[in-house]
Amino acid sequence: MAAMLKCVMSGSQVKVFGKAVQALSRISDELWLDPSKKGLALRCVNSSRSAYGCVLFSPVFFQHYQWSALVKMSENELDTTLNLKCKLGMKSILPIFRCVNSLERNIEKCKIFTRSDKCKVVIQFFYRHGIKRTHNICFQESQPLQVIFDKNVCTNTLMIQPRLLADAIVLFTSSQEEVTLAVTPLNFCLKSSNEESMDLSNAVYSEMFVGSDEFDFFQIGMDTEITFCFKELKGILTFSEATHAPISIYFDFPGKPLALSIDDMLVEANFILATLADESSRASSPQSLCLSQKRKRSDLIKKKAGKNITGQALECISRKAAPRRLYPKETLTNISALENCGSPAMKRANGDVSEVSENSVSNTEEVPGSLCLRKFSCMFFGAVSSDQQEHFNHPFDSLARASDSEEDMNNVCRKEFNGSDAKYFCII
Amino acid sequence: MKFRAKITGKGRLELFIHVSGTVARLAKVCVLRVRPDSLCFGPAGFRGLREAGLRCEAGLWCEVRRGAFQQFRMEGASEDLDEIHLELTAEHLSRAARSAAGASSLKLQLTHRRCPCLTVAVALASPLGRARSVVHDLPVQVLPRRAWRDCPPPSLRAADASIHLPRWKTLRSIVERMANVGDHVLVEANLRGRMTLSMETEVVSIKSYFKNLGNPPESAGVPPHRDPESMVQVRIDNRKLLQFLEGQQINPTMALCNIWDNSLLQLVLVQEDVSLQYFIPAL
Repeated sequence: MAAMLKCVMSGSQVKVFGKAVQALSRISDELWLDPSKKGLALRCVNSSRSAYGCVLFSPVFFQHYQWSALVKMSENELDTTLNLKCKLGMKSILPIFRCVNSLERNIEKCKIFTRSDKCKVVIQFFYRHGIKRTHNICFQESQPLQVIFDKNVCTNTLMIQPRLLADAIVLFTSSQEEVTLAVTPLNFCLKSSNEESMDLSNAVYSEMFVGSDEFDFFQIGMDTEITFCFKELKGILTFSEATHAPISIYFDFPGKPLALSIDDMLVEANFILATLADESSRASSPQSLCLSQKRKRSDLIKKKAGKNITGQALECISRKAAPRRLYPKETLTNISALENCGSPAMKRANGDVSEVSENSVSNTEEVPGSLCLRKFSCMFFGAVSSDQQEHFNHPFDSLARASDSEEDMNNVCRKEFNGSDAKYFCII
Repeated sequence: MKFRAKITGKGRLELFIHVSGTVARLAKVCVLRVRPDSLCFGPAGFRGLREAGLRCEAGLWCEVRRGAFQQFRMEGASEDLDEIHLELTAEHLSRAARSAAGASSLKLQLTHRRCPCLTVAVALASPLGRARSVVHDLPVQVLPRRAWRDCPPPSLRAADASIHLPRWKTLRSIVERMANVGDHVLVEANLRGRMTLSMETEVVSIKSYFKNLGNPPESAGVPPHRDPESMVQVRIDNRKLLQFLEGQQINPTMALCNIWDNSLLQLVLVQEDVSLQYFIPAL
């Protein structure tokens, strides 16, 4: 038996699915298909690891949903559960779902099928009069990524109609990469970021103030100003056109990621964006990991531990490696492993802590030799070594829905590793 | 130097949005001349029209008279320097103005942030009490007196022929199709309401005839001996004409064309307090 996925959708469901693919295509050129008992998750991460998107279709969204993972019995009583590790190029899948409106009108059924022992995903569209269109897309075997982010502990929560976001987006020119969101308990303001050393002579500064009564929900715990990349907002706006549900925004202090989510019972979309960390928050915050970087977002994903680590070493999993367990003792049938996404800075550990270059996770003190022009906080964390498991009593889980997990989601675990000053923190 | 103006009312706001949109389509950088009773947009670096020979580059001029504004206050640098010349990127203003679609008011103000700016502040106040405001600071360069250029209407001698333009869409589609064939078009008109557009290449010759267009009342400067039936002509670059026909966004109540024989074509559009003039020199 192999890990497999089979699902069937109607025309209108395909429209939502296609919109999700389009939205995620704004973030990344690659997409993971990740089935689990929670449903089918489409996940992606951008190349600088500063934005993550995940759209989870619950099993009841589909006309038919079937999936399975491969359970391998091994000698040392540790069953390995191998989930589907399926990564598709956006160039392959996006054209298939390009004209979602015409798909909605014309198709009767859409079937998606794949197995881990085949090397392709089969997408079939069934039209009227017996016409069938089949696409075979080769996939790359790759462990999907996840973000750990608990929306419920965020100090600030807003719920807006997509219209408001659309209005905001037209205000800012495409040459402006970043915007700053400044909120007080009564006010909301979106403005051009003045962190960038922009060409002063030719850059327009724009500001939009919106009264708190335009929000469906407006809860601000403390006055906050956060800065994030503006382009990625367009992705979630694309998706919101398909669902008509309001967009919820969760955020905290500068440096901690910002989450935008849409939840309409059948589909849940989450987009997590890194935010620019303050100079001042660098030393004090134990909960965010600030990365120094030169003019570009740093690589935020770390490679996570493999199995059977001895000592307190951080191990790296290479992308093409054979599937590994994260926790020998727990059955993780869902993806959950954080994977190294090809960061050039991360080296394979041989019992030592890998060297950290300026592009990788660093400690909160100065990383020697790096130019700290901008700092973006780390979004992706994961518990790391197996011998530290006792501190880590919850499995990796997919985003959100803290309300239905029984684990204690508020653990903060600290790990220290030999031979390095690096401190790795997790936010759960 | 001070400048503060406010536009309210849906129609006037839309007109301003269209004006700034037109300027942005036809010029990358423009000079905004703030005068005591009007705002005038002109191309940057324009050399001015010289009387002799009327040699100049194609250029758009747009005047927005004080009547378009609910409030208009300006103060030049000194008593005798009662104008302010600002150079700015036209697209910035157009974008900022577009955010006023559906707004209740738009304010322009000369300010200084990190550099001199033209601040565009848009207020949206709906009856539900939902207030939203948008502010844009557009960086501008204040031009010193020595860099000031002529502002139209330049004192040209009266045109040789002046005629109302045919229906805009018709004119535009004809010029568009001609542009596919060649680059030069000959525009002819007389004082009896007839206008001809013609174009010739090695293989094809196209001519469009318009009649009964009507002529504006003759101004005093028209030479009396001119035969009203004779056609006055000018050969111009078709692409420039097309650029104007496609780029302009207002809905004029009056649209006419002035031709100086073999020298210059001028298109004039007027809507309420706004007048647009586009000059295309002869080839």
